[in-house]
Amino acid sequence: MVSLDERLLVKKIQEGDQQAWNELVLRYEGRLTNYAQGKIKDHSTCQDLVQESFLGFLSKITNFDASRSIQSYLFGILSNKIADFLRSLGKSKIVENPVDSSGNHKGNPFIDPAMGASTWYRGDEKKKLENDALTKCLVLLINDFIKKKDYLKLKTIELLFVNGLSNKEAATILGINNKVVASHRFFATNFIIENLKKLNLSHEVFPEFYEQDTET
Amino acid sequence: MNITRQILDAFIDDHLNEQETIKVEKALRESPELQAQLTDIIKSRDMGDHSIGAIWRREHLSCPSREELLSYQDEALDLDRLDYIKFHLETVGCRACKANLSDLKNANPLPEDPALRKKHQQFLENSKILLPKKN
Repeated sequence: MVSLDERLLVKKIQEGDQQAWNELVLRYEGRLTNYAQGKIKDHSTCQDLVQESFLGFLSKITNFDASRSIQSYLFGILSNKIADFLRSLGKSKIVENPVDSSGNHKGNPFIDPAMGASTWYRGDEKKKLENDALTKCLVLLINDFIKKKDYLKLKTIELLFVNGLSNKEAATILGINNKVVASHRFFATNFIIENLKKLNLSHEVFPEFYEQDTET
Repeated sequence: MNITRQILDAFIDDHLNEQETIKVEKALRESPELQAQLTDIIKSRDMGDHSIGAIWRREHLSCPSREELLSYQDEALDLDRLDYIKFHLETVGCRACKANLSDLKNANPLPEDPALRKKHQQFLENSKILLPKKN
């Protein structure tokens, strides 16, 4: 949930308020620099990458959606810039996938040239709807765990979904039975599906859920 | 460690802890098949594919707030919550929260090194050209 204070800060910057911009830089610079230093030891390089990330943010400020978390947005840009920097040093084995000043992927070699502008528009629109819907459901799920103080389920789901571990690996870390992990996974998946359905999205978004309904 | 699609996703998002990252990097160096799989994942992501894990990581959905991290530092939360935040930092290995926590420990928000502080001031001065024009 983005705070009113953050929304106001973005609004002021969108109106060209330099003091608000200075405040935003001061507020996020430390955490972003620490994040970069987790991967790159040279402080000056870290500062360069952080400043480039701020510039990427500022260059898109007019269209920035104030309901988005500034911190997540800035960490996203910075993360791409760090990966790009490490690739340039040959320290990363990730395939070439350069990003522009805003952290967006550029020169995508995988785009099908036959896809027209309207296809892209529809694709982007659907992607945003799916993304927003999934985010809402995940927030509901996490808040449900926290409200009920069911931290074991939250830990399990985080290991499975966020760290990508198998049921067995998560069970070992948490010191619980595989079956318990499987039941937590089943609970979370059902929770997400049921809440996605409640959003009454067009059947074009997540058509697989409606196909299942037809089959049953 | 069995390197699954989900683990590669987390690797791309830089969301594995240090030990896991080292394991994945080693496996990638040794396996052309795994490198090809990584390429395919990046390809499908660029085409609009997004997993629950990718959204969770990108939006930092389970990250505690700065205020909570401050309370965590002072151990001023209930035991369940303290235990969860410890797990999120140490077991999940959330780098964004670690960076936040480290920032909270630093009382001075400006860089200590005079050269870096100068660079910070220059950046603020130079970047204002990108600010939208006031009406």
